[in-house]
Amino acid sequence: MHLGILALTLLSLGLSGYAIWRDKGLEWSFAVSTPPAPQGAPRFETVFDYSVDQGVAHAPAIALREGGADIVWFQGSSEAQPDVEIYRARLTRTPDGTWQADAPAAIIKSPALGDVFTPQQLVVTMGNTIENEAKPDSLYATVVSVGGWAMASVADVTMRDGHPVHARKLNLSPFLNRSFLVKSPMVAYADGSHGLPAYFEMGSTYGALVRFDEKGRVRDQRRMTGDGVKPIQPMVVPLDADRGVAFLRDFNDSGRLYVSRTADGGQSWSRAEATDIAHPNAPVAALPVSGGRLLMALNGGAQSADLLHLAVSEDDGATWRVIQTLDRKPGDARYPMLRRLDDGDILLVYSHGTKTGLRAVVMNEAWVAAQ
Amino acid sequence: MSGVLAAGGLAVVLAWVVFALTGWVVAAPVSVWLGGLVGALAVLLLRDMLPLRGLVALLAPFGVMLPALALRHMAAKLGLPVVPFGALELAVFLVAYLVFLAGAMGALPLEVYRLGYAPWPVAAMVLAICAYGFVTGNWFLPLIAVLGQALWLTGWGSSNWFDYVTHVLLVPVAAVVLVLRLF
Repeated sequence: MHLGILALTLLSLGLSGYAIWRDKGLEWSFAVSTPPAPQGAPRFETVFDYSVDQGVAHAPAIALREGGADIVWFQGSSEAQPDVEIYRARLTRTPDGTWQADAPAAIIKSPALGDVFTPQQLVVTMGNTIENEAKPDSLYATVVSVGGWAMASVADVTMRDGHPVHARKLNLSPFLNRSFLVKSPMVAYADGSHGLPAYFEMGSTYGALVRFDEKGRVRDQRRMTGDGVKPIQPMVVPLDADRGVAFLRDFNDSGRLYVSRTADGGQSWSRAEATDIAHPNAPVAALPVSGGRLLMALNGGAQSADLLHLAVSEDDGATWRVIQTLDRKPGDARYPMLRRLDDGDILLVYSHGTKTGLRAVVMNEAWVAAQ
Repeated sequence: MSGVLAAGGLAVVLAWVVFALTGWVVAAPVSVWLGGLVGALAVLLLRDMLPLRGLVALLAPFGVMLPALALRHMAAKLGLPVVPFGALELAVFLVAYLVFLAGAMGALPLEVYRLGYAPWPVAAMVLAICAYGFVTGNWFLPLIAVLGQALWLTGWGSSNWFDYVTHVLLVPVAAVVLVLRLF
């Protein structure tokens, strides 16, 4: 008996040695990009406006591609219903500089996603979906096989010709990899890898930054927590190689936007603290702009998501100045996402009409600087 | 390969359920063979049906521990020598595992699950379990820990070692066995 256990121990030592030798570890330095300087005439134009007569169209995300971007969202009779599908609209910049939007089309349906899952399994509904920036033609989709959002998982979905061809759940929690969701775009690291902002929605809830190995498998995760607060949907903005800031929605309805900071490339995060920004229980979007400033899309007011503002910070997110109010019509304007296009312009998408429509706006640095 | 692992795990769990249910009517070894037959046929012939896909969605990743405990239980019924866990072992495991889960939920400031991604902590945990097995003379836990480590290294399934050696169903399983042991 003891000889058998000794043999297992020796086998374990061999396996451990191989695992340690093979492991490349993680680099924790953010990739710092320099936003382009303001050039030319200010431009600010709505390039996509879409509404549904019935049901919901919500949580738009931006997937970048050469010469344009795809807008990806979920749409169905109601949120978390079996008929929810992931839709996509392709935005393309024409040679004369105008924008053209293809007709929206469903690209992921729950049964088809279940077919390509490894292992094959039931997928009941889907939610927030974002681009997997570390792999071409890939998305991270929030999928639910049983229960509600608190039982959701994040699936790495490989697409080909506009259809899913492979999917697997990320290994993020001991609750059968459940209760993790995504919302905000990934964070680039200096070594070419990416971090995935995610959040755990069961119990006390917290934000997380997920890191991957070279094969795209989860290699680490670091939390963003707070006291008496449920900080979710982290929007991570690197400030330099080491420092970064995460803006967090408070799921507790405190009426404030929360912030957590890192000084070691995301290895550790400060306790989430309330900012002076009155904000409803809703996410924000942000990205660096020229002049060392940050641009944020956020809702105005502690309880209402009727208005969507653009604001600028010149002190790494400590204080903000509203530069534009985008949506003045009644009805929630929520779930913004900001990404920089390959030509340096900034694309903003958000849902409006209380989750019944989507809007996309393109602006340039000159417009931001002029506000 | 993770599909094969999941199919195997599901077959064993289904076999155990049938074994447990038929055990009320027929004795082992009939209940064991019946369970094995139903589990294997279900996974081979019905794996694309909605109920089985639902079970995979509900229970995967199965890991090593849950199927191994099911096989161990059936093996014991077949008369193979199995060293049972003591009440103290079960109680310590139950408390430790609940603390582990509470930490994963953020209810406690513990992030033990995160250690399951990294080779050094996994190496230390597997060695500790081997040492425990050496002291107690029970080979089952070292076998599960090392098998889980081997599968973790293959990259076929989860990238977290804990997904191989734990499963949330162990909470009710351990609790029921502990209650039966004590009362």
